[in-house]
Amino acid sequence: MDKLKKEFSKIYDKYVEKIFRFVFLKVNSKEVAEDLTSETFLRTWEVFRQGNPKIENVSAFLYQTARNLITDYYREKGKAQIISPDLGRPIVDPRQNLEKQAILNSEMERVRKALSQLNEDYQNAIIWYYLDEMPIQEVANLLDRTVPATRVLISRAIKALREKLEKV
Amino acid sequence: MMTEKEVIEKIRLLKQIKPEKKWVFLTKERILGKEPIFFPFLKPAFAGLLFILILFGLSFTSLPGEPFYLIKKLVERGQTVFVPEEERPKLELELANKRLEELSKIAEKNDVKKLAPAINEAKESVANATKNLVKSKKVDKEIVQKTLELEKKKQEVEKVLGTKITEEGTEDPTKLVAKYLIEDFENRTLTQDQKQILEKAKVYFENGDFAKVLELLLTIGQ
Repeated sequence: MDKLKKEFSKIYDKYVEKIFRFVFLKVNSKEVAEDLTSETFLRTWEVFRQGNPKIENVSAFLYQTARNLITDYYREKGKAQIISPDLGRPIVDPRQNLEKQAILNSEMERVRKALSQLNEDYQNAIIWYYLDEMPIQEVANLLDRTVPATRVLISRAIKALREKLEKV
Repeated sequence: MMTEKEVIEKIRLLKQIKPEKKWVFLTKERILGKEPIFFPFLKPAFAGLLFILILFGLSFTSLPGEPFYLIKKLVERGQTVFVPEEERPKLELELANKRLEELSKIAEKNDVKKLAPAINEAKESVANATKNLVKSKKVDKEIVQKTLELEKKKQEVEKVLGTKITEEGTEDPTKLVAKYLIEDFENRTLTQDQKQILEKAKVYFENGDFAKVLELLLTIGQ
């Protein structure tokens, strides 16, 4: 058990920030993002510790669990997945000076809002490829597409985001 | 119109979204349970070492007849293996002094149960010291001082217990050292004063006051 805990501890350290950001960008609430991220890791740990079925791809499992939880969250709350830009606020490094922080917050908020207006595949493709810096093959696996189809999707997602950014 | 590069740069601004460190820590703790703060000695390999160190620690103050005394003896015996032959008489004298100290403590406490093993340990140790003195036949200032110390302790213990510490059939270490010391000085060129002291020491030797011989001859060496 100690060996499993150690192994999972490393997985947690590697993915916790990424999963939190992924969830936060979908729910735009620090508290909800914390709850869902925590639940994502708890559920993954439950499967991981039993080892049956063995998790072949931890990263894919974590993102899929997070996605399911986000879907459940919106279903239960009867909320639309496209969130109002007034809800929540981005979490940035508080050590930066206030003016810089304000500009950054405002710019981040603009990007987040534009991103939240894209369809789920576009959002995920952008998050995984540009924020999480996953290899294209892994993004393709997560999106259940071929690599060329994923490249096309990413390119379209960028184009769609640019259009949204110019509007917000 | 923004370029693709500019859009990507803006996306990367979102990398600054991070969970609070405290939340990260507490959540991990909630899922996996508390992780022990890293104390190397809590790891099994170190726990073994710690156990041995504790045993050694306990054994240092233990007395004959006590559970950890054997470890103390083993450690001491281990030390003698690494000591050069010419240094061995000193070490054996030191060990004999320790045994007499232990015996003295037990006698003070009137711990009857431990008395018999302590007397045996002391006798054995004094015999060992004598054996090594016979073997080396060399004495120096340090050996003389340690022998004097041993003699003093031996006399005290023998007085309290009413039993002889020097085993029957073996020579008294103080007598041996006194004998070797006289022989050594007889072969040296001495001043008139030193010769007188040596003669005086010989008289004490004849009278069996070996400690006095050592005390006297120590003054010549100084």
